[in-house]
Amino acid sequence: MKEFAVFWGCTIQARFPFIEKSTRIVLEAFGLPYRDIDGFTCCPEKSLVNNIDHAAFVLTAARNVALVDELGVDLVSPCTGCVSNLATVKCELNANPKEKSEVNSLLKEVGREFTGKSKLHHLVPFFHDAVGILAIKQRMKRDFSGMKIALHYGCHMIRPSHALRNDDPLNPQKFDNLIRAMGAESLQFLTKLMCCGQGLDRIDEHDKALHFARIKLRELKSIGADALVLCCPSCFLQFDNNQFLMEKEGEKFGIPVIYFTELLGLSMGYTAEELGMTAHRVEVEPFIKKWESMADRPPREEAIEAGLNGPNLIG
Amino acid sequence: MLEATLNLKLLEMCSKCGACFSICPSCMHIPGYDPRAVINDILDGNYEKWLTSRHIWQCLECHHCLEICYQHYGFENAMAALRTIAAKRGIHPTQLKRGWEMFVKTSRLGEPALPARKKLGLPEPKASGADEFKKLLSLLKEKREKKKK
Ligand code: SF4
Ligand code: SF4
Repeated sequence: MKEFAVFWGCTIQARFPFIEKSTRIVLEAFGLPYRDIDGFTCCPEKSLVNNIDHAAFVLTAARNVALVDELGVDLVSPCTGCVSNLATVKCELNANPKEKSEVNSLLKEVGREFTGKSKLHHLVPFFHDAVGILAIKQRMKRDFSGMKIALHYGCHMIRPSHALRNDDPLNPQKFDNLIRAMGAESLQFLTKLMCCGQGLDRIDEHDKALHFARIKLRELKSIGADALVLCCPSCFLQFDNNQFLMEKEGEKFGIPVIYFTELLGLSMGYTAEELGMTAHRVEVEPFIKKWESMADRPPREEAIEAGLNGPNLIG
Repeated sequence: MLEATLNLKLLEMCSKCGACFSICPSCMHIPGYDPRAVINDILDGNYEKWLTSRHIWQCLECHHCLEICYQHYGFENAMAALRTIAAKRGIHPTQLKRGWEMFVKTSRLGEPALPARKKLGLPEPKASGADEFKKLLSLLKEKREKKKK
């Protein structure tokens, strides 16, 4: 496997260092050739930067990509927004030689060059494609059979598809495949692909942001989801933090929000504490408790066997 | 100004289509949010009134409209163009501006949380590229000023 740099992004490092923790744990456990590199800045965040100054948006992203281009490594990020923004700019520049040479004429003055050669991956499709389901199954100590998981892809893991080109943008499968490989049921529900709505919190519309979270959480509660699993710090903020705020106001959903790397870590035998999950605002206890109680049940094969050969209708 | 950032022919097709309205989360859940009205006004030359509207910022940039669109175009382009014009005139949500200022000043939207890192046993964060980034932004500024002259 080609070496890759991890792009942590601002939000994970500033607000959710425990996500970095669980990500490092699984990268190490799989023995993946990752490294940390100097010099990254904000990806930059699209709504804040691109709306105000498109050229600054492009230039900043191009510089970040140039850092991995120069080292001849690829880039993997556990942040959905970061990958999408970097990939969008890379695609724009690769398709637009004039703009690319303008950007490079500025980058040259600080000794950098954007070639656009390195590959940029989101952690989830990267695990699906490069690590592979077989390798995951081999390292798992205990699966999640019997658990009902609701997935939230996060818009920018897969869209815009012309830039990311990693899954079907309107009917994605890879995250589902991973969850199923871990033995859980991946629930199919109406709001599965609906945007989390966290963006509304960035434009002074907190009530509307809460409302967007509420729509999905309500559905999840009604279909009996054991957890909402995702891999994006913005979506995490929306469903963990904003759910907590609604709970404080008396609106209880009780849906634990679990990062992909945390779920993977649990299945490999790490504890919720080791993975930093105790830092979540919405309790993850109910999920862990139910999962632990499942361990006492006989494995599926045995249960079926018992049903067939044990006492039955005929006697 | 609008013509420079929008493909009016594609927008004209939008005005007859509207397919993405039924997949757009903001159309579904925010009363009054309707890019079809915005598009019609742009085509009629009446876009000014939208520059001060909250609605142009309520596009979540989720790219659903882009992906379902038979022209791979999307409502979002109309909303983004209006946001750009509004921002140039200094009309934008205050939080957005705060984020932008922090970005320009520090090259990031927040610094690594050091005490929490230590508790979790995480390594020292790598150096940021803030200095180089600031130099690039000032080069960009210079280049723009030269162009103006
Ligand atoms: S990108 Fe904006 S306009 Fe398009 S579907 Fe999403 S919220 Fe609606
Ligand atoms: S963006 Fe595409 S799908 Fe939406 S109205 Fe325009 S043409 Fe139709």
